[in-house]
Amino acid sequence: MKYFLTFLLALHFFATTLFGVDATLKVQKDVEQRSRIALVDGSSVPNEKFFNLLLSDLKISGHFLADSTRHQGDFASDFLSPELKSKEYVLKYALSMENGVKLVVRLLKASEGTEFFKKSYAIPAVEKLPFLGHKAISDINNALNYPDISWINRYVVFSRYTTPGRSEILLADYTFNYQKVIIRGGLNLFPKWADAGQKSFYYTSYAGLTPTLYKINIYSGERQKIISSEGMLVCSDVSKDGSKLLLTMAPEGQADIYEFNLGSQSRSKITNFNGIDVNGKYVDDESSIVFVSNRLGYANIFKQSLHGAAVSQIVYHGRNNNACDAHEDQIVYSSRESQNTFGKNTFNLYLTFSMGSGTRPLTTTGANQFPRFSADGSVILFIKHSGRGSSVGYINLESHQSLLFPISGSKMQSIDW
Amino acid sequence: MIQKFIITTAAISLLALTGCSQTAPDLAGKNNVSDATQFGDDTVSIDENKYGNEAGSGSNYNSSSDGFQSIYFGFGDYGISSSMQERISTNANVANNASGSQVKIEGNCDEFGTDEYNYALGLKRAKAVKDSIASQGVNTSKMVIVSFGESNPVCNEPTDECYERNRRVDIRLAN
Repeated sequence: MKYFLTFLLALHFFATTLFGVDATLKVQKDVEQRSRIALVDGSSVPNEKFFNLLLSDLKISGHFLADSTRHQGDFASDFLSPELKSKEYVLKYALSMENGVKLVVRLLKASEGTEFFKKSYAIPAVEKLPFLGHKAISDINNALNYPDISWINRYVVFSRYTTPGRSEILLADYTFNYQKVIIRGGLNLFPKWADAGQKSFYYTSYAGLTPTLYKINIYSGERQKIISSEGMLVCSDVSKDGSKLLLTMAPEGQADIYEFNLGSQSRSKITNFNGIDVNGKYVDDESSIVFVSNRLGYANIFKQSLHGAAVSQIVYHGRNNNACDAHEDQIVYSSRESQNTFGKNTFNLYLTFSMGSGTRPLTTTGANQFPRFSADGSVILFIKHSGRGSSVGYINLESHQSLLFPISGSKMQSIDW
Repeated sequence: MIQKFIITTAAISLLALTGCSQTAPDLAGKNNVSDATQFGDDTVSIDENKYGNEAGSGSNYNSSSDGFQSIYFGFGDYGISSSMQERISTNANVANNASGSQVKIEGNCDEFGTDEYNYALGLKRAKAVKDSIASQGVNTSKMVIVSFGESNPVCNEPTDECYERNRRVDIRLAN
């Protein structure tokens, strides 16, 4: 028995190390439905970093069982070595970085060696190479008629502190391999995408006497002032059509949640509590919101209709649930689960539903914060702090696959994607 | 517990070692060539340093100025302790003597909160100080409150003393 447990321990370590998964992963029956695929680098100058990026894309999709071996071979040839014949698909690719970046991919059926899909990509900015890889895997996924994973193509926008009273807002790809500062200097916080096409985002500027919400176009730099508020001002959510915002603001010195109509420039106060109400998120086809409040004496998640004042408690677990996100009826929240006044604490993520149909743990170790749903609600982004440093993590709710990408730099302030 | 561990390990190992096929449609010859122009457009990069910033007012940016005294708070609290009442009185006198100037009251937190909630906590602290000063005769229209959450620490040492110094409200003249 002792040897058997030792063997299992070794196997457990191997499995979790190999896949970089969180300990909460559940393996579902659909594991057997994933396609076995191998990558063959046919570039004249092989690029290990790009191989790892493609591998990550395949893994987090939840639709592929990707071979972690970095094979190399002739891009144009249909020949496949015998070891690749056991796969279903072989993805051959050739990357060149002369005059920009060019990528050509060929998807072969392994058993026959026949070409199934071919596509080429080009981009002038070398630093945007990660987006080419994401786009290629996204296209291959679509070609195989698997559920959409276009979220891997999206920009992540985030703010981080640099020095006391200073911050910067950056764009990144979902792996954080690409990063670019969009707003440097000053104190600019809480970036939130303004539109599905990710052309603009909202953020709070502290350049004036009171916090001011701006909308900025990431391509033109055009900046539009939206509203100011004494105390604090955060754009917590944007309606699907982009016409309304959920704001946490304090025009009378009291933090409450307001809905702001961009067309009429009018605002309506949704919550009314002499404590803390923040972090409003649309749920249930935008007929209600969920939010964080300390109305029971500690931070917890509540729900309120946009057309009524009745407030209902959503979460009956934990004593410090101080951040949440929502997509349709799904709610993810961060719960502090240790009582160290100072120092490192455990924060775990939980998934629940606005109609109250069960709660499911998503993480079990470390400090997991800033949970954010993908645009389609299938994946959750979060920031993980552990003894090994900080990472941006992703949990695919359908496949239960998760991945962590190390991030360095200053303290994260807020994030959206 | 051991049983659960064994089941979990066996399942994850299964993921590592097995996998079967799913029949795929044949799309050879379709959508063969494309580019990625949607990622090609360059994005802006804006430097706001040139615009100045009121978040840190001068070299002494993390403490009260213009004769005001900072008010300090317990962990997670936004009530003003009795030990701070003398400072509140001092601040009320300074505010009353600052004719024509607005008084900016800045709420701050230690680093242990996250997201919007910490900013709301800083706001509650600033509001508590504003109300206390107002109760001593200062016109509320003369005061403006702003929460800086955990963004403006005066120190970054991992000590209780440092954390206490960051849980504060700073006061200064706004103009």
